[in-house]
Amino acid sequence: MPDLLACEHDIASALGDARESARAARWLAGDAALNERRLAIYRANAAAATTKALSAAYPVIEQVLGPSAFAILAREHQRLAPSTSGDLNELGAALADVVAAHEMGQSLPYLADLARLEWAAHRAYGAADALPFDARAIAQLPAQQQSTIRFVWAAGTALVASRFPIVRIWRIHQAGFDGEFSVDWSTGEVALIAREGLRVAVHAVDGGDAAFIAASLAGEPVGAAAEQALANDAGFDLGRLLTWLITTNVICGYTSEWEP
Amino acid sequence: MISNLAVGIGLRQPHYGEVFERRPALGFLEVHSENFFLDGGASMHVLERARAAYPVSLHGVGLSLGSVDALAERHLAKLQRLVERIEPDLVSEHLSWGGVGGRHFNDLLPLPATREALELMSARVDRVQSVLKRPILIENVSAYVAYGASEMSEFALLAELARRTGCGLLLDLNNLYVNAVNLGLDPLAALNELTPAMIGEMHLAGHTGTDAGLVDTHGTRVCADVWSLYETACRQLGPHPTLIEWDTDLPALDVLLDEADIAASVAARSELADA
Repeated sequence: MPDLLACEHDIASALGDARESARAARWLAGDAALNERRLAIYRANAAAATTKALSAAYPVIEQVLGPSAFAILAREHQRLAPSTSGDLNELGAALADVVAAHEMGQSLPYLADLARLEWAAHRAYGAADALPFDARAIAQLPAQQQSTIRFVWAAGTALVASRFPIVRIWRIHQAGFDGEFSVDWSTGEVALIAREGLRVAVHAVDGGDAAFIAASLAGEPVGAAAEQALANDAGFDLGRLLTWLITTNVICGYTSEWEP
Repeated sequence: MISNLAVGIGLRQPHYGEVFERRPALGFLEVHSENFFLDGGASMHVLERARAAYPVSLHGVGLSLGSVDALAERHLAKLQRLVERIEPDLVSEHLSWGGVGGRHFNDLLPLPATREALELMSARVDRVQSVLKRPILIENVSAYVAYGASEMSEFALLAELARRTGCGLLLDLNNLYVNAVNLGLDPLAALNELTPAMIGEMHLAGHTGTDAGLVDTHGTRVCADVWSLYETACRQLGPHPTLIEWDTDLPALDVLLDEADIAASVAARSELADA
């Protein structure tokens, strides 16, 4: 009785590592030398699938590195974090760690944070559409209640903090960017990644805004989040921030457990 | 319901804008299901627009039905959600496996045509059809290697799978041709295993010649031999909804539409010859 389990495990070993080709050979009919070259087609397919999926999620990293260095990084990803899903949208979560451990990430130390930004943008791209939100209801709440509400954020909203200007780097690599290409390397940035309608927007936010957003995204009520923002930046302006985030529908609702 | 004379194309990202602008007369559009395993956003918006304008076929490439690993229930749940959202006319997958032991190669690897593989595939197709509450189509894949353990032809296995589970078959004539050349098989003998009622769709695509054999790249026009095989299949098994499948080195939309026109005329001719 042929044993499908042993067969698939042997073929998989041979596809994962050419030195294991002999394990596949015992299952295959026909010329052994030709079969070895045919197995190489499958190895190339798997490598191409990984590179293509990573390229879709990390277009800026690919531009920064160029296609051949990016392909090397993709092989490294395949070695350290091989695909485990038939859904390639899920492939690439580990790229920031793979980059950080690789010499590419050591010579370009901003790459790992840039990868975190791009992964957040990739997740936001396919996140659920936010429902429209009429924020006038908040203004009608009693003042004591207003500080206790918790905001609902559009699915996919994320913050990525870096000691490098990752938003600036990301921006100058966007298609159609026609501004100055200079980068001020002396400053770090916090990136807010969020869906605005169908578009994924990336903004640099300052310390107070970042502290508020981080606390609110983590589930803190408005009052507590604002206190953290003010501790970070005495000039924090909650009204301005909320006007922006509600207008763009990045904040798309609120919950309240307040009882008078 | 897609007509048996319908011809469609694979809808790929670079053509999104032009397809909606021109609304070419096509029988259906096909997409890879996994590209739309998303909660929302721009891609889902495109697919919903496509669904509003054309019949849609969801073609899965990642379910790995023939893997001895447990069936990827999370993957199947995503497919179920997509099917419920899009209400496609056709849903298809492959006679293949994609990985084992938790590792995925994201490829369509051939199965040995054994009774054991038939049992596994039958159980998997039953499960998928019961979750999706509809019959699916199973496609023959291109193969670069053949298994010594095979006990029957790939098409005998597919035909038996269709009889057992009630699934339909997606007959890919380019895959059939690639295997015939690479593995020295008789493509006409394969067609003889099938009946018209089993076939739910046909695929046409291009391949690339290499010194290791033909590689199923979906990156060129359909070759003359595959057109001829398609004509034979249409005469013998009747015309069925037919897809022009193009995935790499994507050309201008007009090239796909031209291929679709050729397929439509071959299918129509076979029907006339039949009458």
